[in-house]
Amino acid sequence: MPAYGPEPETNGGRRPGMLAITFLLLALSISYLPDVAQQRIAWTLRVSILRPFLATQERILAARMNAQNVEQLMGQIDSMTAVLSTQAALFDENSTLRKLLDLAERAGPSFLPTTVLRGGTAGSESMFLVRVGAAQGIYEGAPVVTWRGLVGVILEVQKEISRGMDWTHPDFKVSAMLQDGTMFGIVDNRRRAFREVDRLVLNGTPFSEDALPGTPVLTSGLGATYPRGIPVGVIDEVEATQGQWGKSYWLRPMVEPGEVTHVLVARRGAGGDVGALWLADSVQVGEARTQLGRRP
Amino acid sequence: MKTDARIWLLFAGLALMHLLLHVGFGIGRAAPDLLTVALLLGAREVGMGRAAGMGLLFGLLEDALSVLSFGANSAAMTIVAVLGAVTRDLFVGDSLFFLVSYFLIGKWVRDLVYWFMVGETLRQPFVDQVLIQGLIGGMYAAIVGVVLLAVTGLRQQAPA
Repeated sequence: MPAYGPEPETNGGRRPGMLAITFLLLALSISYLPDVAQQRIAWTLRVSILRPFLATQERILAARMNAQNVEQLMGQIDSMTAVLSTQAALFDENSTLRKLLDLAERAGPSFLPTTVLRGGTAGSESMFLVRVGAAQGIYEGAPVVTWRGLVGVILEVQKEISRGMDWTHPDFKVSAMLQDGTMFGIVDNRRRAFREVDRLVLNGTPFSEDALPGTPVLTSGLGATYPRGIPVGVIDEVEATQGQWGKSYWLRPMVEPGEVTHVLVARRGAGGDVGALWLADSVQVGEARTQLGRRP
Repeated sequence: MKTDARIWLLFAGLALMHLLLHVGFGIGRAAPDLLTVALLLGAREVGMGRAAGMGLLFGLLEDALSVLSFGANSAAMTIVAVLGAVTRDLFVGDSLFFLVSYFLIGKWVRDLVYWFMVGETLRQPFVDQVLIQGLIGGMYAAIVGVVLLAVTGLRQQAPA
């Protein structure tokens, strides 16, 4: 900034002073102008010199509002997703419980509803606890079922609690048959690296007869451990043949043990044939998938 | 002496930047009062009359956005511009002390006059608005003004 120079306005000393006084008086008098005049001056400046700056402010505000709207919308979407996902789980659980209640109603007092507890510790895979025991009439070897079919069997009974194994346990075996009772065998499991991919196999069926994929496989009642008629799985495909005398089939299990939270446990005297209890549920689903029966 | 064109470029640039920061971006007090800095710069380059005119124009620009205190900025800026032009005849020099004092006092006087003109209903307590905020704003303006003069090289070019 130049420090000093000659007076730039050389047209006499009075003129700049008069001009300054005029502007000063003008500035001081602006406050006392009528509101209409003040607003007219302000409006003129706003639509001329200040217009681009006000437009900039408007654009920035609009951008901020849009950003806020996007954040709000994202928040609403997240909330709705959370609500919907929660409702889906509740709906699923509700549906399962209703079907289990229907089954319990059909079964009457021969089956007791209870909740499945899993240890979740190493070595406790395939094992579970149920909060019913000898006091409620539960016995060792009592089948554990859901509305879809067989889950497993009770191994150890105490007064108020029992321990059982599901079908993924290596010791699990059940005598089974096709739904129409024309082919019999033993169902056990094939363990894989993970329990989620364990599979059931129907062993010891005649070599000369074929079971159609989708045919329901039920407990046969032989051996008197499991009542007759509890769905175990449906035929999937041939697993292997044993020489010229036998075949085994992969089964698609009716029940995935990892999904089970509520079950029914059979009490003493549950009956010899309980197949009618599942006719309305899983077996009919299996029938709808494919034609029933064996293929000679 | 013919005024360096860069002074007027800086003058215009500061005015535009002030309006952009305060009106366009709505930054508020976080941005310095560049309009007063520009006015104080320009006031020493022209005579009292033109300086008063510039002050009136700048004040009106700020008043155009003021709903309740129309005229207060015009009066404040015009008075500051006149006083700035008067310093040309009273003070000779371009020292750092002078420049800091010039910008600081100029900005503070602007806030003081505004406080008087704005009216009792709108003014904040004198200590808050004039003594504290006014001095802080004055220091902010002084720093910005001195730095700008140094960065643009206008101060070094001035005669000793």
